[in-house]
Amino acid sequence: MKSAVPLSLSFCPARLDAIQSASGLILALFMWLHMLFVSSILLGKEAFWTVARFFEGYFILGRPFPLLVSLIVAAILALVVLHAVLALRKFPADWHQYRTFWRHAHRFPHSDTRLWLLQVITGFALFFLAPAHLYQMMAHPEMIGPYASADRVWSGHFWPLYLLLLVAVELHGGIGLYRLALKWGWFMGKDPARSRQRMKRGKWILTGLFIGVGLLALGAYIWIGIQHADRVGERYTPEWAKTETADETPLQPGPLLGSDARFAALADPGHPSSIQPAAEARP
Amino acid sequence: MSRALTFHIFRHTPGNPDSVPHLQDYSLEEAPGMTLFIALNRIREEQDPSLAFDFVCRAGVCGSCAMVINGLPGLACRTLTASLPPEITLLPLPVFELIGDLSVNTGKWMRAMSERLETWVHLQGEPDLDAVEAPMDPDLADEIYELDRCIECGCCIAACGTAQMREDFVGAVGLNKIARFRLDPRDRRTEPDYYRVIGDDAGVFGCMSLLGCHDVCPKGLSLQTQIAYLRRAMVRQGLTGPTRCL
Amino acid sequence: MKIFYTDVLVIGGGLAGLRTAVGVRRRGLDTLILSLVPPKRSHSVAAQGGMQASLANGVKSLGDNEEVHFQDTVRGSDWGCDQVVARLFTHMAPKAVRELAAWGVPWSRERQGERQAFINGEAVSFQVPSQAHGLIAARDFGGTKKWRTCYTSDGTGHAMLFAVSDQAIAAAIPVHERQEALALIHDGDRCQGAVVRDLVTGELRAYLARATVMATGGFGRIWGVSTNAIINEGIGQAIALETGVARLANLEAVQFHPTAIVPAGILVTEGCRGDGGLLRDVDGHRFMPDYEPEKKELASRDVVSRRMAEHMRKGKGVKGPFGDHLWLDISVLGRAHIEKNLREVKEICQYFLGIDPAVDFIPVRPTQHYSMGGIRTDHRGQSPWLQGLFACGEVACWDLHGFNRLGGNSVAETVVAGMLVGEYVADFCASPGGQIQISTGLARDFLRREQAHLDHLLAGPGQEDAIAIRQAMERVMTDRVGLFRKGPDLEAAVTELRELLVRARRLGVRNPHPGANPELVLAYRLPRMLKVALGAALGALARTESRGAHYREDYPGRNDRDWLKRTLLHWPEGSDLPVLEYEPLEVRAMELPPGFRGYGARDIRDHPDTAHRQAEVDALRGVGGEGDMSITQVDGVPSLQERLMPFHHLLPARYQGPNTRSSAPVNV
Repeated sequence: MKSAVPLSLSFCPARLDAIQSASGLILALFMWLHMLFVSSILLGKEAFWTVARFFEGYFILGRPFPLLVSLIVAAILALVVLHAVLALRKFPADWHQYRTFWRHAHRFPHSDTRLWLLQVITGFALFFLAPAHLYQMMAHPEMIGPYASADRVWSGHFWPLYLLLLVAVELHGGIGLYRLALKWGWFMGKDPARSRQRMKRGKWILTGLFIGVGLLALGAYIWIGIQHADRVGERYTPEWAKTETADETPLQPGPLLGSDARFAALADPGHPSSIQPAAEARP
Repeated sequence: MSRALTFHIFRHTPGNPDSVPHLQDYSLEEAPGMTLFIALNRIREEQDPSLAFDFVCRAGVCGSCAMVINGLPGLACRTLTASLPPEITLLPLPVFELIGDLSVNTGKWMRAMSERLETWVHLQGEPDLDAVEAPMDPDLADEIYELDRCIECGCCIAACGTAQMREDFVGAVGLNKIARFRLDPRDRRTEPDYYRVIGDDAGVFGCMSLLGCHDVCPKGLSLQTQIAYLRRAMVRQGLTGPTRCL
Repeated sequence: MKIFYTDVLVIGGGLAGLRTAVGVRRRGLDTLILSLVPPKRSHSVAAQGGMQASLANGVKSLGDNEEVHFQDTVRGSDWGCDQVVARLFTHMAPKAVRELAAWGVPWSRERQGERQAFINGEAVSFQVPSQAHGLIAARDFGGTKKWRTCYTSDGTGHAMLFAVSDQAIAAAIPVHERQEALALIHDGDRCQGAVVRDLVTGELRAYLARATVMATGGFGRIWGVSTNAIINEGIGQAIALETGVARLANLEAVQFHPTAIVPAGILVTEGCRGDGGLLRDVDGHRFMPDYEPEKKELASRDVVSRRMAEHMRKGKGVKGPFGDHLWLDISVLGRAHIEKNLREVKEICQYFLGIDPAVDFIPVRPTQHYSMGGIRTDHRGQSPWLQGLFACGEVACWDLHGFNRLGGNSVAETVVAGMLVGEYVADFCASPGGQIQISTGLARDFLRREQAHLDHLLAGPGQEDAIAIRQAMERVMTDRVGLFRKGPDLEAAVTELRELLVRARRLGVRNPHPGANPELVLAYRLPRMLKVALGAALGALARTESRGAHYREDYPGRNDRDWLKRTLLHWPEGSDLPVLEYEPLEVRAMELPPGFRGYGARDIRDHPDTAHRQAEVDALRGVGGEGDMSITQVDGVPSLQERLMPFHHLLPARYQGPNTRSSAPVNV
């Protein structure tokens, strides 16, 4: 092996390692919950509307504060950036390393090694896919709702992004969680070899389930989006709520993100969304 | 009915300027109970006296003959050809310096690893050889032996994703050794001492838990458990130790 | 021309060489180890069952001490060993185990409470007292009065080798790996180092040293099938022989281990029988009690091997595609015991035989295992004929084992000899004899000679096929110099080996690459192997008696009158045969005069001094035969030991202390 590098008693590596794992764990668990929330559309528009309003604090504070969503998204984005920066340490540092590993994975018939390659590729994809989605959500927290989301997916041409994101994030997170358990020796019980096999099977089942549910949900949004294509901008409001609030979104934009900002974002011709601002859509 | 085996064997002698790396094919009729030790020796005796490979104990205990057998690192001496398909590809272990054909310099790598991790019992003074030995719990002795069974064959390094990319990674063999000495009350080192040698990305934090090591270890060492255990201990040390960072 | 200088050049990176180097380094000398392979791959690693040392911790070991160990060793050797060396050894063995314990060897430990064991085919249980809890445990081995073999499961050699090798790394002792000594540099009186070939680059270098220590192991690989690692080809013995002055001794004393698996010849440890395993024949019958009613499977190795061969000759062997064999049955010990204490055996059975020893019988037969003979040294490990040349471990005839070695005594010898020889070598270096005028001219001459030899092999006109000659040699040794020996066979062996040696001088090498070239390696090793083979055959032919492992069917009795002596062998330059000489063993100096080992019928022609010496010893010991066996004087009065056979003065000062024992009370 290469002769000893100077060894300093830095306690950094321990922290970085712990933070990488912790951020990954939080993100993966968040991602699963997020998938459940998003999939509530499969239970009906109202179910999703309720979930969306819930995160805006509607049922606690009496009226929706999309800023809360922005804050959550901002936190997630920060975690993603942190996780990505830390995970970069493990990425092949140059073409030579990348090729060496690729050859190794090719030669060595070992699924966990090949899974890592998948994790690197999906991780790399997520560098681009996740921030695009997250920024959108952070900038337009109020644009979450059965019609608004469906319009974005279909009329806003976001569905290819979501399709890739879904597959990448589920694979990456699933493998990541499995890897975390091995890395820290969680749930290993008396027979670690069997636990590992079971965990790996469980991981695939969960990943499959989530991708399946995700595809169904995406299909549902696309379906709604197609149906709603001629009414882009119209917001969904449950029947019972129509007397209370006229719309699924707050009348006033959040205090942080003024309407100007929103308009500015949407005015960008390169922006994938062509959704009309909510305010205009009010009946 | 014996099978006709075809061996595709990596050939290259770096010390010979005329040598070009290539796979060379050899045919051999399978015999009952034939191991790769027997097969390779027959090829050398009957077909190609220049073929280089390493065997010492030929009984699976010395670790000399590790090579990549149809993609998997393993001990050639105890691999029965009957357990392989008729097409057998043999490559030298990657990562280690190539000496010739299937022979690699694991000794040099292991010595450097040992020096770096100080893989010996750090004594507190000279032992008194006339006195009755210090008692040790029989279970602890068994546990230490369990980790002491590593034969430094290099399979774990050849199967390690990190070791392919990072030349300075100590690998499962190194981490297992630290786990072994940590367990041994005769070694006077303490947690910061261990952290000093493996508390970085060339040590335990470099491990990405791909567990190729665990899956190919010819001695069936519990590398998965040991590395996880060590990682927890080293993170504990890192989080509770002095706060110097960067 | 590359020349390396050091104080002590150690050739061989196994346990003996490593421990010697650690010792001389501790004495402040510069040292360097040459090894064919990485040290942790040495043959020492294959020692499975354990190392004998009279710690007397366990219930079945109580009452054990240096004297009992000494007597077992001398009896085991069939009185062929050097008794002073045996005394030094048994005194040191407990220290060696304890040093290794401090260095991290995870010796298996005693556990208090009820202990189940399997003895003589029956399950027994006994209580291990709490005082013994956690102390180093011992198992039973053949030819011993007590349970004395300390072990770590059945990977004892591995654990020991790794601990000692790691200590050598800790001491920053350089190991030059993949280096092969081709010749000792000497001027006829004084050894000055060695000419060494780099097995990777093919380059020759000279290593010059004040003392050269050979620790290159045995020569089992001159037989077709051997339990030895394939690097044990006797090259160390051969290059000592090729000095023309250093003597080898007792090459005919070769041990065949009873239980090597068929056909691979891989050893399964004596611990199998020590722990209660049984030998069975084609009918599943346990036959050893028929031959040796007292010690049964745990008779001395030479005896068990011969009885097995005898039984197979009676047609009781199991016929197989690779010849007859017998069964070793350890299924009686139960799966739990096998998976804890005999796990290497289990792996060997699994990988090489495809069987589960907890269920199936293991096919075994006696197989070449150990060479008691080797480079003759004095008790310091130095060749009396070539100053500055030392040897220890299996390569040496120190002479701890005489004509049969006890199981567990060889791996113990490696470290004990390493501990002692390390000190003696350091003493030598500090003495006037240890000063040396290094002659680079001499080194250059030797280098040139060896280079010319290699060049000749690579470019010369030779046409002989090394592999064919090697196979012929292996056949001769297996067929004619095996377990049972006869005059006509041995004569034929000598003739055939001489012819092979002549042919081996005309070897052809097809691959002209001077670097890593296995064909070239065989070509220069083969004549050296043949010389050792010839020495063994010649020694066996000349020795017209049976002693220990050397069994002559035409001379079945032990003949102390004519043969209580060591065969010495040297090879004068230009001669085509080695010369035999003999060195008598002094009965008058023996602590344990020659007697009957207790196997089979007594068939001994006594030495004329035996009766006299026995009377002397009896008188000194008094009526009960018991006496103060302190190794040195007590209250100014010489101890019985000192009067019988003093050895204390020969020990290095640091190792003179008496061994303490835990003396747990008997509670059976």
